Amino acid sequence: MRRFVAIVLLVIMALVALFSPLITDRDPRHAVPEDQLQPPSAQYPFGTDLIGRDVYTRVLHGGRWTLGVALLTAVVTLLPGTLIGLVAGYAGGWVDQALMSLMDAMLAFPSLLLALAWVALLGSGQVQIALAVGIAGIPAYARVTRAAVLEARTRPFVEAARSLGARPVGILWRHVLPAIAPPMLAFAGVTLSWAILNSAALTFLGYGGDPGAPDWGVMLADGRQAFRTAPWVAIAPGVAISLTVFAINLLAGSGHSVRW
Amino acid sequence: MILYLLRRGAAALLVVWMAVSLAFVVLRWSPGDAVDATMARAGLPDDEIEARRDELGLNDPIWQQYVVYVAGLVRGDLGESLVSQQPVSEMIAQNFGPTAALAFCALLVAVILGVGLGAMASLPRWAGVRYAAEAIASLTLSTPVYWTSTLAIYLFTIVLGLLPGVGGQGLRYLILPVTVLGFHTAGSIARVTAESIRDAAKQDFVRTARAKGLRDRQVLYHILRVGLLPVLAVVALQLGFLLGGAVITETIFVRRGLGRVLLTAVNNRDYPVIQGLVGLSAILYSLIHLIADALYRLFDPRVEMD
Repeated sequence: MRRFVAIVLLVIMALVALFSPLITDRDPRHAVPEDQLQPPSAQYPFGTDLIGRDVYTRVLHGGRWTLGVALLTAVVTLLPGTLIGLVAGYAGGWVDQALMSLMDAMLAFPSLLLALAWVALLGSGQVQIALAVGIAGIPAYARVTRAAVLEARTRPFVEAARSLGARPVGILWRHVLPAIAPPMLAFAGVTLSWAILNSAALTFLGYGGDPGAPDWGVMLADGRQAFRTAPWVAIAPGVAISLTVFAINLLAGSGHSVRW
Repeated sequence: MILYLLRRGAAALLVVWMAVSLAFVVLRWSPGDAVDATMARAGLPDDEIEARRDELGLNDPIWQQYVVYVAGLVRGDLGESLVSQQPVSEMIAQNFGPTAALAFCALLVAVILGVGLGAMASLPRWAGVRYAAEAIASLTLSTPVYWTSTLAIYLFTIVLGLLPGVGGQGLRYLILPVTVLGFHTAGSIARVTAESIRDAAKQDFVRTARAKGLRDRQVLYHILRVGLLPVLAVVALQLGFLLGGAVITETIFVRRGLGRVLLTAVNNRDYPVIQGLVGLSAILYSLIHLIADALYRLFDPRVEMD
């Protein structure tokens, strides 16, 4: 039931994000100054913002921006994270120690601070944010992967493969990776929801590089300017973010209780 | 025990050193520095800018800057801001209090709410309560601080007029940011609590306790004593998150604190300030983990001192 609700929600989100230009033919950047801060109406279902842009159109288009950046962020976290975890967990010894103490040094600062430090290096922009937040997520993912690999290593089928003389890369790819896939996928879901929240946090703080972008984080920042008189500007993108993250968390479960 | 603490202390120092060095190297790679961000933007002539760079040591080779910086660290000197020339240690000291108060109170809210929700979600009977607790926990996880803050200010300050909104430093101004930050943090604590209590209830020692005829309340004590331990680890991790969350809460509620110092420093590429804050957060992280580990060993007789 839970999974069903979550999947339906996510499919709707994905379809809306993909086909937003077909659902509404308005331009998310088009401003009608005389219609600024209009409350929700038939013409503007979610109202308009400070400079008279249609919040409904912006929220629909925002899915592409926000979810696009979040997906890129997740890739930046997952690929190196998995690789480092696999190598460290399987190789053991000094390789493991060196990699893990580097990860620990990165884990020692809160992810948002780490992401901010990377933004200081990379500058503002959507791709830069994806890189910054993605890199900041690597240590946690590497640690979880490593723990799963350590456990999988001791399984009989891995030992059998090793005693048959299979090469490490082959063992990792054919035996270890499938064995650790379920918990890793669940944690990937957690990583994705975290990527959405943190990348939107950075666009909210103004590091998106494009202040007019129909991005949920940017829209929340706009909403903050106007919320005293026009709360709808902040409510629509906020609900969009929360609904997406809620659906992903529902699907991913609390780590390992729900398998994908 | 002493040997263990010594070894952990050394490991912690290593982590702090690596974190600061990492920040140092990474920041120096970046194109542009504090002088670009402040003087060049203000349109000052090039030779003046270069002279300023020389004066600040930004034109020295990186290894030389690093040696100077680490030598300063050992003496307890964190350097000074490239923009305001204020010593970094002074900036930290001035802004530590408000952020610590915010983070600590938010953690308190998060632990009370999180452990409460988690315990309710682990109840074997009363499915309704369980689902409600789980739903609330999921809700807190999916609502980011930068949204709930705006919502909370709108609701409690503008519509209801109960609490002051932004800009102040008093105790009444602390209520909204603390609640908002604690609310978002409670979700992960609740999840770990629920799962860990459920796990603990399935363990052999619980069956033994029941078998030897202990009362329900005594069995519950056995379960909680072990079941609440993983919560410690999460709480330790969350404190780090709260420091990050402080950046956003302080910005929205216009509060003085380390979060805003960091944001300003990032915008101005003020390296020494960023490094100082990174170092501080690494020290706090190591310290918190050390305490969490020690408590683990204290409460769970099955964990050995290695």
